[in-house]
Amino acid sequence: MRKEVLILLAKQVLNNAVRNKAVLALCGIILLLMAYAAFSGYSAYKKQTESRKKNEAEIRHNWEHMPDKHPHRMAHYGYIAFRPKAALSFFDFGIESYTGNAVFLEAHRQNTVNFSEAGFSTGLLRFGEISIALVLQLLVPLLLFFLGFNTIAAERENNTLKVLLSQGANWKEIIAGKSLGLLTMALLLLLPAVIMTVGIWALQNNSSSTGDEVMRLLWLLVSYTVFFAIVSVIAVTVSAISKTAKMALISLIGIWLLFGIVLPRATQALGNWLHPSPSKIEFETAVEKDLIQKGDSHNPDDAYYKALKDSMLKAYKASSVEQLPFNYGGFQMKEGEKISAQIYTKHLDSLLDTYESQNGVARATSFVNPFMAIKNVSMAFSGTDFGAYTRFQKEAEAYRYRLAQHMNDLQMKLISNKKLADTAKPYSISKAYWAAFPDFSYKPLSQKEVMKNEIISIIALVFWIAVLLIIINRLSKKLKAI
Amino acid sequence: MIALAIKNFLRSKVAVASLLFILLAGIVSIHIGKQFLQKQEAAIAKTAAFQKEHIHRNVQFFDKEIGLLLYYLKFSLVNKPSNLNALSIGQRDVNVTIQSVTIKNLEAQKYDTDLYNPSNLLAGNLDYSFVLIYLFPLLIIALSYNLLSEEKEGETWRLISVQAKNPLRYLWQKLAIRAVAVYAALAVILGYAMVILSLLLNAAFIAVVCLSVMYIAFWFALSFWAMSWHKSSSVNAVSLLSFWMLLTIVCPAVANSYLINKYPVPEAMHTAIEQRDGYHEKWDMDKRITTDAFYTHYPQFKKYPLPNKQFSWLWYYAMQQMGDDDAKEQATAMQKKLRLREQVSNNIARPVPTIFTQLQLNNLTHSGLSNHLDFLDSTNKFHEKMRLYFYPKIFEEAAVNEQDWHQWQVEYFGKEEKVKWIKLLLPLAILIVVLLVPGYINLKRMKNM
Repeated sequence: MRKEVLILLAKQVLNNAVRNKAVLALCGIILLLMAYAAFSGYSAYKKQTESRKKNEAEIRHNWEHMPDKHPHRMAHYGYIAFRPKAALSFFDFGIESYTGNAVFLEAHRQNTVNFSEAGFSTGLLRFGEISIALVLQLLVPLLLFFLGFNTIAAERENNTLKVLLSQGANWKEIIAGKSLGLLTMALLLLLPAVIMTVGIWALQNNSSSTGDEVMRLLWLLVSYTVFFAIVSVIAVTVSAISKTAKMALISLIGIWLLFGIVLPRATQALGNWLHPSPSKIEFETAVEKDLIQKGDSHNPDDAYYKALKDSMLKAYKASSVEQLPFNYGGFQMKEGEKISAQIYTKHLDSLLDTYESQNGVARATSFVNPFMAIKNVSMAFSGTDFGAYTRFQKEAEAYRYRLAQHMNDLQMKLISNKKLADTAKPYSISKAYWAAFPDFSYKPLSQKEVMKNEIISIIALVFWIAVLLIIINRLSKKLKAI
Repeated sequence: MIALAIKNFLRSKVAVASLLFILLAGIVSIHIGKQFLQKQEAAIAKTAAFQKEHIHRNVQFFDKEIGLLLYYLKFSLVNKPSNLNALSIGQRDVNVTIQSVTIKNLEAQKYDTDLYNPSNLLAGNLDYSFVLIYLFPLLIIALSYNLLSEEKEGETWRLISVQAKNPLRYLWQKLAIRAVAVYAALAVILGYAMVILSLLLNAAFIAVVCLSVMYIAFWFALSFWAMSWHKSSSVNAVSLLSFWMLLTIVCPAVANSYLINKYPVPEAMHTAIEQRDGYHEKWDMDKRITTDAFYTHYPQFKKYPLPNKQFSWLWYYAMQQMGDDDAKEQATAMQKKLRLREQVSNNIARPVPTIFTQLQLNNLTHSGLSNHLDFLDSTNKFHEKMRLYFYPKIFEEAAVNEQDWHQWQVEYFGKEEKVKWIKLLLPLAILIVVLLVPGYINLKRMKNM
């Protein structure tokens, strides 16, 4: 392939695009929507982050200013953890509108993460949201298809293709050159998206932003470039094999609808059907059943807790729990918390695995549908995907467990074993202990973990490039000028 | 001539393929709806069985103190889905269908979410409403974008204008053939739904049918209008698709972000924080403050004095009550905000047929936000009823074993609403007329050319 020929052909595509008023109008709309998406994404991030920080500060302040009290009261007072919005969430909203924003963390109980935007929605949200990522994933490809459908088919109809071939250009050069032209067009639209994204990212940049985020931005840039290359080659290839330009346009619109709109929904539904997940009541009864089987701390005659008590009394050579050198109530709760958290985590992990399998079906179709691959890769690098959410959920549960067990430890160490009279003032410990317990904070997935989660989508993008190269190679031997 | 036009239509591969595709999608969508419904119904049945077993078990463990027993006992209220719900899953996959609550602080319980895979929500449901709102317009566009232009591009239009007495009538006939095909597909899908979902031919279902018919008519009107521009097939296809994108993707998304930014719901977090502090801070306060507030709320319980003990169930439940009472202002503000959102969305929806149809379908199938808000209101009443029944029992320290625990079965919430026909059909009818008139005028003008 000759470089000059490629550049010449690419320039021709760009020139045609610039002369087409409809294309320019569409570009204008795309830029406008992008700017709007950037603005609304940023303002949502700013608002959510500000109110989250205020709420977090209030929760922490109230926690530290709780008066002296019994540590178990503190374990029930608990904590509220708020899900931070990912730094790049303004670029790709991902699933953030569908996940809860706050979870109440207390002893003995794993609460749901509540108050999602979806829960407050009138149904409008379900049409989808406009983010920069959506514009890049759906609208830019559509523009490339609108531009690309006549790249070769129209030349064939006008009989200029013959001229082109007889002047020495070969098929490979024609397909590659025209694709390059489309890709350049796409990159011209990607550029403002990159500028806006980096600009906003720098604007909201707090000291915690790291090299990790820079890497994520770079990976996003690479992924979208690869995706646009795939879309460009598809457009030109379809134009080359279609009899008329009209047929090429209709086929490309069909491909866009199928890849962009129908398949993502259909494959997710398929995953849902192949891997049914339990309802809330099924999940909760399964957890409870396991708990009762292991030992029911509510049952006064439970064998497990009786045996536990006897073994402690024996080990300390005591005849009653009051003689033990630690608070037995605290000890029993610590044991109960350990067991219930283990059982809950086991069930939660299996539930999340089921969800993962559901999502896996859609992800696997990335090998058929490149739009699916970019969707998942984009969400993952933006930190707004399913993996990012489960990380929050798991970290919140880990914090809840630490909090409950810390209070149980304090009870064992500092609270007397003697039962108080009905009217006596209850035992309490100093409030200094509250401030000593650290605030909830969590680290999002690192860029490497993200790549591991989405390795299939990344491979699919590479696979698509390889397949298209093979197709070009084959076609260039078969295609005819007329 | 019409027979030939029908033959011509049926010979087109695109027409037959797209009709088959919509039928397949429609049938799949009905089964997806049914699967969703079955899962809900299974969960409801399970809840009923669980409640019985749960009460029985706890009554055995905590047979000495009714106050302690009620700390654990959960009672369920079910927002019973109608079979019609399978046609439009709406917000039912986000919001809970079953509320299981103790008589403790309700604000700490009633916002608990269901278990769901957020990726499923993001992808959206492939239910009938999706097939109707997204796919049917595409079918209509595919069948009619080149209605006139193909005749012009095939050089047959001149023949028709010469031979036919009224070429416009020929266009009408062609459009009518396509309309019959599309409505037949709709009839097959809805008929299939009636059988599979055992739907009754009631007002709500007829309303769904009428709404669907009108929505499809809107897209035919739009295609007709686009046809009257006399542009090429490609231009028609591109412009109709752009309209589709505008109405299904851009407009709803812009409307949504306007709504979210204009009416945020910070009250939700404030409710969560205040109900928690409202209850917990009472542990460290003089008991009188709590019980006085409690007696003010429920003067009828003044006859139960605070026992002279460090801990008493009267004090405990009064503290729990304070969680609700202290958060009441924020909780009411949140409900108001959500009702306002509902109202504003309905206003925005009127000129946008996609949003309008979706919101109306959600309304008719009881799967929208307003249904959920009604369910939350009903949860409040249900909870209050349980409280008022058990408070005196707890304060009197009634014997656990003397109570009739079998009476506590799962209760159901359901609200029958009359269909408001004019509100349902007028907005679409206006849009249809607005498109048909200029289209007709354009084509008339052409005839004279």
